[in-house]
Amino acid sequence: MSYHYNEAFENPAYRFSETLEVDRSRNYQENPFSYQNPYDSSSYSYQGEHRGRRQNYTPDIPMASLRHNSEYSDSLPRVEVLSRSGRSHDNLSFEPEPELAYNPQSSFSPLDDPYTHRFSSASEDDFVRRRNRRPSDVTMFSTQSQATPVCGEEEKLVGSLASMSKHERIKAIQKMPENMKRKREIRNKVLREITKKSGGCGTLCGCCTHCMRRAKVSFRRFRNSLSEYFHRLNFWHKTLKIIAGEFGTSVLSYFIFLKWLLNFNIFSFLINFGFITVPQFVTAEPNNLSFTGLELLTGAGYFQQTVLYYGFYTNATIRQRKNGASYNMQLAYIFTVGIYFVICLLILLFSMAKSFHRNFINTQVYSGNASKLLCAWDFNITNEKAVKLKQKNLSTQIKEDLAEGKKEAPKLSVTERIVRILIHLGSWAASLGTAVAACAGVYFLSINNLQLFMKGYRNDLESQAAMLVLAIVTSLLNVVLPFFYSWLGNLEKFQDPKNKIYVTIARIIILKISIIGILCYYWLNVVAASESQCWETLVGQDIYRLVLVDFIFCLLGSFFGEFLRRIIGTTVYIRLGVPEFDIGRSVLDLIYAQTLTWLKPSKECGPFRGLPSIYAAISEWVKILENYIDSKWVAWIYYNLITSELFFFILSVPILVFTYLYWQIIKGRKTVAKLFLEQIVNKGRDKRFLLEQIRMLQRKQNPSAPRRQDQQRSSWLDHSSMPPAQQEPNYLGRTFDRNRNASYDEYPYSAGISRGTGFPSDWETSQPSSSSGMSEAVALALRARQAAQLEDLQDDINFRP
Amino acid sequence: MGNKQTIFTPEQLDAYQDCTFFTRKEILRLFYKYRDLAPQLVPLDYTDKPNVTLPYELIGSMPELKDNPFRQRIAEVFSESGDGNMTLDDFLDMFSVLSEMAPRDLKAYYAFKIYDFNNDDYICKSDLEKTVNKLTRNELTPEEVSLACEKVIYEADLDNDGKLSLEDFQHMIIRAPDFLSTFHIRI
Repeated sequence: MSYHYNEAFENPAYRFSETLEVDRSRNYQENPFSYQNPYDSSSYSYQGEHRGRRQNYTPDIPMASLRHNSEYSDSLPRVEVLSRSGRSHDNLSFEPEPELAYNPQSSFSPLDDPYTHRFSSASEDDFVRRRNRRPSDVTMFSTQSQATPVCGEEEKLVGSLASMSKHERIKAIQKMPENMKRKREIRNKVLREITKKSGGCGTLCGCCTHCMRRAKVSFRRFRNSLSEYFHRLNFWHKTLKIIAGEFGTSVLSYFIFLKWLLNFNIFSFLINFGFITVPQFVTAEPNNLSFTGLELLTGAGYFQQTVLYYGFYTNATIRQRKNGASYNMQLAYIFTVGIYFVICLLILLFSMAKSFHRNFINTQVYSGNASKLLCAWDFNITNEKAVKLKQKNLSTQIKEDLAEGKKEAPKLSVTERIVRILIHLGSWAASLGTAVAACAGVYFLSINNLQLFMKGYRNDLESQAAMLVLAIVTSLLNVVLPFFYSWLGNLEKFQDPKNKIYVTIARIIILKISIIGILCYYWLNVVAASESQCWETLVGQDIYRLVLVDFIFCLLGSFFGEFLRRIIGTTVYIRLGVPEFDIGRSVLDLIYAQTLTWLKPSKECGPFRGLPSIYAAISEWVKILENYIDSKWVAWIYYNLITSELFFFILSVPILVFTYLYWQIIKGRKTVAKLFLEQIVNKGRDKRFLLEQIRMLQRKQNPSAPRRQDQQRSSWLDHSSMPPAQQEPNYLGRTFDRNRNASYDEYPYSAGISRGTGFPSDWETSQPSSSSGMSEAVALALRARQAAQLEDLQDDINFRP
Repeated sequence: MGNKQTIFTPEQLDAYQDCTFFTRKEILRLFYKYRDLAPQLVPLDYTDKPNVTLPYELIGSMPELKDNPFRQRIAEVFSESGDGNMTLDDFLDMFSVLSEMAPRDLKAYYAFKIYDFNNDDYICKSDLEKTVNKLTRNELTPEEVSLACEKVIYEADLDNDGKLSLEDFQHMIIRAPDFLSTFHIRI
C-alpha cells in the first residue's frame, strides 16, 4: 500500500503545482527514514491546555466550521516543511502558535492503512504516531486561529484516494481511525473528485461514463444483495453469539472449528454424491440380500450391495443409449476425488495463509505474561455470570503471576524427591502400558473380525454381534481411559496445574493415535493382504461401525457427562476429551479416504477392478483419446508434461529459487528487527542514565547554572554544523525538541542521515517565547537529551556501514 | 426491500458501507438495535439526517455492553462529543471497529484509547491500575494491583519512559494472537 502512497507523490499534478511538495516527496523517496516529526509525542505542557480549550470550544463550534476545519488545518504540515527544509526558517509570516505547531492533522493521513506497514517504514510509523497522539479537537481550535487557509494535505489525500482502485479506496477509508462524519466527508470529496476528472472529456464521453457508473452502482447493489442471501446461509450466527456471550471466545473457537468441519464434510458429500453415487444409482444392479434391521448397526449384510461401499461401484462406462454420451466411472472416480483433494488443499492453504497473515508473530516469544493483561478482556462476553467468572479467573491469574516471582519451589528432601519421581515414572508406565494393552486388544479383536468376515456373509445374529464387539471395545477404551489418566494426574500432585493438564492431554493423544495407528496397520497390511475378495468393503464396514458406535457413545457421554457434571462438578476432563475425539475421528475419515483413493485396488471389487493401479485408468483413457484428432492436445500434454520428469524438474527450480530468496529476505529482516530492538533498549537506558545525571547536577548547582549549560550546548551545536541561532533557548520549544529526540532515538539511522542533509533544523526559533514558567529542571533535562542525541549521531554515523 | 428504502436512501447506505466494515443488512440490523434502545427518540426515517443522540445511560444498557466493565470508556471513546452519548454514526463506528473485519491495528488503536482513561495519549500507571481494577472487580489489594501494573510497564515499556505509548501497546498486541478474537463484539 505504501506504494500507492508514493505514487501519489509521483503524481505530476502535485509535482508541478507546489515545489515544496516536490522537495518533500523527494526527501521521502530518497530516504524513507528521514521524515521526522518534531511534534510527535504530545507534550505535557499543552495537553492540559488543550483539554481546557476543548471544553470551551467543542460545544459551540457550528457544523460548518467542522466541515472546513479539515481543509484549514492542513496548512500545518506546510509550516513544518518550510521550517524543516531550512530554507525559509526565517519566514515569520506564519507565527505558528504552539497549538498549531502541535500538528493535529496528519499530513499523510490515512490514505493507506497507516498501521499495517508500520514496521516497514520508519517514517510511516512516525506519522501514525502523530495521528494517534492528537487530541481530536485541536483541529477545531487551529481552524479558528489560522488566518491563511492553505488546503494542501487533504486535497492530496483526496487526490491519492481518487487515484486508487475502487476496492482499495474503500478499504483505505474503512481503516481510517476517524469518526464517521470525517470518513464520509473524505469519501464524498473523493467521489466528487472522481466525477470531476471523468466529467472533463466532453459530453459524449461524460454520458458514457455516467452510464458506466450507473451500471457499476447497480452491479454493486446486485452483488450486495447476493452476498446477503449467501449470508443467510451462514447458520447458527445467533447461536454462536450466545455461546460466545456465555462461555467466552475459547469455547466459541471449538464450535467454530466444528462448524468448519461440518461445512467441509457437506461439501465433500455433495461432490462425491453428485459425481459418483448418482451415476452408480443409475446402473445399480438389483440388491438380492435380505434386510433384517441389525444391518443398521453393523453395516454388513444388505448394505454390502449398496452405494455405501466402495466394492459395489462399477468399473463400467455408463451409456444410456448406444452411441450416446458416455460416463466413465473410473475417470469420474479419479477426477472427482482428485479435484476434491486439490480444492481441500487450496482451502487449507488459503486459510492457513490468512491466519498466518493475521497472527504473524515474531519468532522471539514475548517474555512477560503480565502484559497480556491488557489484551485479556473478552469483549464478547455478555453474560453477567460469565463476566464475574472471567474477572475471578483474571485476578487469580494475576495473583499467581505475582506469587511466581516471590516464591521458590518448596525444598524437598531427597527421599521426597525420589518418591515424586517414582510416582511420575509409575504413572507414565501405567498410562503407556494401558495404551499398549488397548492396542493389543484392538488388534486381536480385529483379527478375529477378519476371520468372521472370511467365513462368508452369514446373516446370523451371532456373527453380526461379534463384529460389533471391536467397535464397542474401541469406543469404550476411548471414553474410559481418559478418566483413568486424569485420575493418574491427580495422583501425581503436580505443583503447577498447567503441567497436569498438559501431561494428561499428552497421554490421551498418545492413546488415541496409537489406537488409530494399529487399526490402520490392520487395514492396510493385514486386511489388504488377506484372501478377502473385497477388502475395501470390510474396511468400510469397520469404519461404519466405529463411527456409529462412537456417535452413540458421544450421545451417552454427553448425557451422563452433563448428569455427572451437575452432581459432582468435575467437568474439566470430559470437556477435554470431546474435541480430541473429534479430531481423531476426522483423522479416521481422512485416512479412510486416502486409503481408498491412493492404494492398490483389489482385483475384483470397486471401480478399478482388473487394473494394476489407479493411475492405469488414466493412461488407458489417454490411449483412447489419441485416436481422436480433436483431443490430440490432451495426449500431447499428458506425454510431454505430466509423464515427463524434465518438466517437473524445470517447474521445481524456480519454486525452489523463490523459496530460498524469501527465506533469505525473512532472515535479513529478522536480523534488522533484532538490531533495532537492541538499539531502542540501549537508547532508553542512555536516556534514563542521562536524566539521572542531570538531576544530580541540578541538585548540586545554583540557579545560575543554566546559562553556563547553554554555552556548552551551543558549542555542541557548532560541532554538529548547526547555525548558532538558538542561543536564546526557548524552553517551550525544547519540549518539542524532546519529541524529536525521541524519534531520533528510535530511528538512529534516520538521525544520521538527516544530519547529513542538514536537517536538524532550528524550527524552534520561530516559536514565540511565550512561556517562562517551565521549570529549569525540565529544560536542563531536555538539553541533556539533545546532547545525548548528538553523541548518538556520531555513533550512528560510525555505525553505519 | 420496501422498508429499507424508507430508512436510508441508497446513497446513505452506500456511504455507510464505504465507511464501515458492514454489509447493508448488518447496517440495518445495527440501526434496529440502535432504535430499540429508544423507539420514541429514534425515527424510522433517516433520509433527512435527523439529529438524534442517545444518552450514555441507554447505550450502556444494551445487552452487548451492559456487563462489560469498560462500557463507559467504550462509549466515551466512540462518541463524537466524548461524553458517551452516541449518534447513529458513532454507534456504527463503534461496532465497525469491534467487528471481525477490522484490521488489528485499527483495533489496537481504539483499544489503546479505551485503556487510556485520562486521555493523555499514554497508558500510564494510573490508567493501568484502573484497568486492572475493572478486570478483577477490585478483588486484588492495592499493593497487588500496583505490583501487577509495574510488571506490565516493566515488560512492555520499550523506551523506558515509565508508561506505555501506542507503539509499546501495538508491539505488545502483535504478540497476543487472541486479541483479534477477543476485541470483538458479535452483532
